Amino acid sequence: MTRPRIPAARLRAGVPALVVVALLAVILAKGDYRTNFFSGGGFALGALVAAIALGVVVTYRGSGVVNLAGAAVAMYAAYVYADLRTHGDLFLPPLPNPLAPIEGLVHLAGDDSFTVPHWPTSVSFGATMGFWPALVLALVFCALFGLVLHVAVFRPLRHAPVLAKVVASVGVLLFLQAVVVRRFSTTTQVVGPLPFVDKTQVDLGLFKITQEQLFVVCLVLVLAVALWALFQRSRFGLAVRAAAENEKGATVLGFSADRLAAATWVLSTVVTGLLGIFVASVNSSVDPNTMPALIVPAVTAALVGGFTSFGWTTLAAFALGMQVALVTFLGANESWFPKADGLPVPGVDLLVPLVVIVAVLALRGQSLPTRGVLGPGRLPFSPTARPWALRYGGPGLAVVALIPGVFFLSPAMRDGLTNTLTGIVICLSIVVLTGFIGQISLAQTSFAGLSAYTVASLSTHHGWPFPLPILAGAAVAVVAGVLVALPALRVRGVHLAIATLAFAVAVDKVVFANSWINGGFDGATVTTPALIRSQDTDTHHVLGVTIGDGTQPNPLTLVFCLIVVVALGYLVANLRRSLTGRQMLAIRSNERAAAAAGVNVAAVKVLAFGVSAFIAGVGGAVIAYRTGNVTPDKFLYDKSLMFFAFAYLGGIASVSGAVTGGLLVGGGLGFTVLNKVFGLPDEFVLLLGGLGLVVTAVLNPEGVAGKARTDLLALRRRFRPPTPADRPTPADPPTPADRPTPMDPLTPTDTATTITEPTASATTGPSAASTPAAAAAVPTAAATPTAAATPATAATPATASISAAAAVPTAAAAPTASGSAAGTHVGGSAGATPAVAGEAR
Amino acid sequence: MSALLEIEGLYSGYAGVAMVRDLNLTVHAGEIVALLGPNGAGKTTTLLTTSGLNPVMKGDIRVFGRSIRGRPAHRAPREGLAHVLEDRSLFYQLTVAENLRLAAARSRGDLDRALSYFPALEPLLGRRAGLLSGGEQQMLAMARALTSKPRLLMVDEMSLGLAPVIVERLLPVLRRIVDDTGAGVLLVEQHVHLALEVADRAAVLVHGDLVASGTTAEIAGRAAALESTYFGAGPGVDADAGPSVDASTSTSTSTSPSASRSASPSANANANPSAGPDAGPDDRPDDPETAPEADLEGSR
Ligand SMILES: Nc1ncnc2c1ncn2[C@@H]1O[C@H](COP(=O)(O)OP(=O)(O)OP(=O)(O)O)[C@@H](O)[C@H]1O
Ligand SMILES: [Mg+2]
Repeated sequence: MTRPRIPAARLRAGVPALVVVALLAVILAKGDYRTNFFSGGGFALGALVAAIALGVVVTYRGSGVVNLAGAAVAMYAAYVYADLRTHGDLFLPPLPNPLAPIEGLVHLAGDDSFTVPHWPTSVSFGATMGFWPALVLALVFCALFGLVLHVAVFRPLRHAPVLAKVVASVGVLLFLQAVVVRRFSTTTQVVGPLPFVDKTQVDLGLFKITQEQLFVVCLVLVLAVALWALFQRSRFGLAVRAAAENEKGATVLGFSADRLAAATWVLSTVVTGLLGIFVASVNSSVDPNTMPALIVPAVTAALVGGFTSFGWTTLAAFALGMQVALVTFLGANESWFPKADGLPVPGVDLLVPLVVIVAVLALRGQSLPTRGVLGPGRLPFSPTARPWALRYGGPGLAVVALIPGVFFLSPAMRDGLTNTLTGIVICLSIVVLTGFIGQISLAQTSFAGLSAYTVASLSTHHGWPFPLPILAGAAVAVVAGVLVALPALRVRGVHLAIATLAFAVAVDKVVFANSWINGGFDGATVTTPALIRSQDTDTHHVLGVTIGDGTQPNPLTLVFCLIVVVALGYLVANLRRSLTGRQMLAIRSNERAAAAAGVNVAAVKVLAFGVSAFIAGVGGAVIAYRTGNVTPDKFLYDKSLMFFAFAYLGGIASVSGAVTGGLLVGGGLGFTVLNKVFGLPDEFVLLLGGLGLVVTAVLNPEGVAGKARTDLLALRRRFRPPTPADRPTPADPPTPADRPTPMDPLTPTDTATTITEPTASATTGPSAASTPAAAAAVPTAAATPTAAATPATAATPATASISAAAAVPTAAAAPTASGSAAGTHVGGSAGATPAVAGEAR
Repeated sequence: MSALLEIEGLYSGYAGVAMVRDLNLTVHAGEIVALLGPNGAGKTTTLLTTSGLNPVMKGDIRVFGRSIRGRPAHRAPREGLAHVLEDRSLFYQLTVAENLRLAAARSRGDLDRALSYFPALEPLLGRRAGLLSGGEQQMLAMARALTSKPRLLMVDEMSLGLAPVIVERLLPVLRRIVDDTGAGVLLVEQHVHLALEVADRAAVLVHGDLVASGTTAEIAGRAAALESTYFGAGPGVDADAGPSVDASTSTSTSTSPSASRSASPSANANANPSAGPDAGPDDRPDDPETAPEADLEGSR
């Protein structure tokens, strides 16, 4: 610690320490608590969590990425290993095939027998493989995978905003899961035992543990010590720490930050993969869902260790792994354990990481060491809706969706369109939270699910009539959203992603897996009015037009969803245009600057969470009404990840992005087209989604919609002469159209340009100033640049405050420029503009 | 003497805008070359480009006879180039010893030798670099660069934020290092007098253009004129800037082909020091605007 510890800080460290010590004392004191906490299974789980957490820490220290896919790597490695052992196959992830489109086109033309060469999907090494070769091969694969992750994904994202990195790691997670599901389905895969240890019990006095469990625990402990030594003692470790602090400094000493990062990626995937393989062997099985979810306790442990300390991380990981068995025991045996309908509340073990995360964040605040890389990342540009878009966008969308949706589309396509519409709603909620105010929430479908279950309960058990439960459900979601917002007042970025992910995972189990709430196996029934019930096949006659063709789904369901989408779309577009929206963007780009400009950051944040949760809640309610039956699978945390992925893919900062996202979501229109027309199987959506997410994050952080928009703008700019709208200042000197604006050459945005261009002209002016003669011109010229500078901000009062934040570098430059313009040096403008110079003469 | 560093017709800058134009400079073994110039002249840019941290736009830089084009930045130290960055770029989280160890490619001996120039660091080895005073940090930055046994050492503003007394004590150390190791030194310095005292040759960069170069004696002869260039660059003194700039440029026996037009850019530097990066695009050498602008001035 560089700072001397003040008593308050000591208190902060002391209280949690006391709590931990007290808990440990209780556990040790009670015999059955002890045996359950220190159980072999708990140790094995703890070891795996620890390995994943160590990998997360190594990656973070090496590259500043919080790798949410860390746990998925463990799962993937276990699958690779298992397949090698049992079939002798090294299965490869699907590789992009440049010839595939040709094949697709020929198939479309009707020749289904035509094939092009494909990448191999696996490499066979004979019937089965021994332990060591399989292990080595699997680890080599892990190492290569780590390298690919670095080179293809995270190196290009080095200077990208946190958001893009989180998104990319979510993409990797989805991709890995999808690959495994596609190859092996979701069923459990059997993994053979380790050859050199077995299940004989070893009595360690305090507790008993099997040989193999003891082995993995020792292995993890050894790895933790080795990693600690590597980072603390070796020159490599020093260099990694140095590069994390100051990349330039490390470079001039001969270290390539890039190679160091690559090395840490390889190191972390190998460590994680190794333990993934061993723990799967100890548990004799692996499946695509259990291990990836361990990222929550693992990241929690890493957070406890401040993403730096291997020791604390390992300890916390073991504790978080071991508490699971204890909590299960408590639920089964203790009368004080919270019960629902006589059964212990499920998933309390998942609440533990959440509580730890909140406690750590509350006590430490922003504690992740920041990295000394140059170039702060920017978030995707958030455009204001043009008036024409506002006026015609909604009705246009409605017509485009309505007419074919109601009258022409096949049932399957209708279903897809409805999925798209509900997807748009969820994406809209993400647009508000992430696109506008820059907070990451990976729990949006949890809000939706809470609302959906509220709707089910109110409509079925309490007899509330149709639209009312929607509001009640949304209100519940808002309450949850505001609750989540409270930690968000202290933390941001990746911390928030972690906290909300933990929240989502906990809600999955505690609420959605709670039979008291979820209605058991059949789900919770929603009483839907017949008019919009999806299963309703009646035809309606309105003004001589027949609606419905006697098939499911009911077209009016679609109309209902559409109305909600348009209403919420307007809400979001207007929010963006409102003062609050601009304040949100200000917060997004710089909280401190926003606060200094008089924005009540806390209030606006809570509001944003509220609005976002409200939208998600309405979305959940619509989903509930649409299907008439709420099942948890629609709202599990991985759905949140997926929606986040698709919202980001679509373009996270605008309504049009949400619409694009909705088109992309699983089960949505785009997917249905792929599925029905091109015959792509279901699992492919996830795969494409994950891959698309990674690619988008890397190539084009603004998302599809944003990309389309900047391309359009660039095109328009090329073909259109500058109009008064572009240059709001009549006094603005005619600058050459292609004058480089060195301040922010990367800002392709409207908002920024309105500011940048006048700024450039105001500054380039003075720089041309020179001699005392210029000083003589001061009085006249001083008026001119000031005039030029003032309307630039005044003429766009709406954008002024946003761009002050939305484009920090520009805005920061603007006052400097006007400052010097107001000073004595302004004379130069006279020199730069012939017209004004004429006046000066 | 062989040239350790040859900069030939270098153009370098940021975001496609050349901040240094047509620079020629050589550093031989065993000599100290001072690169002088007002704020924003492009001195740091030149050094960063030599290190490979900034791309070469045009021209070439040869270090130890080999072009740096295509060489990754982290390769430079291995070839014997050391760079004390303007911001020192110490690793504050690491101890002094660890900072030094990172640079010591081979043996413990290098470290001791580097420390021998800065004995004041000896008792601080276990302390975190972030806790050092400014002067100590500068010594550490120097010692760290020396630890890698450079054949060519580039030092960017050794004096930054230091009391003149300390600078007076630090600069002569450079001389000793050069005499001991036979390395060449490219020194960027704001304290012109001190720099000229320790250097063998000097080059003056003003607003991206080389306006003067020669032996220290030659440059020192014009020190008064050059000096006023510096002061002229200070904020708010531009009333008497005009004439003094004329003095400086007229006396310059510049090797730069752009000497004839250097009056204008240097004057710019005086007139608006805060113009910073924005000033650049306006006076690129191909700038046709310069001429009419001069006309305007003349006609006023
Ligand atoms: N990263 C950057 N991006 C854009 N412009 C830059 C950047 N760094 C420096 N510049 C500009 O390049 C020009 C030369 O800067 P440089 O740092 O080389 O000057 P210098 O001679 O070292 O000045 P000083 O004596 O103040 O250190 C200046 O106009 C500066 O504003
Ligand atoms: Mg400098």
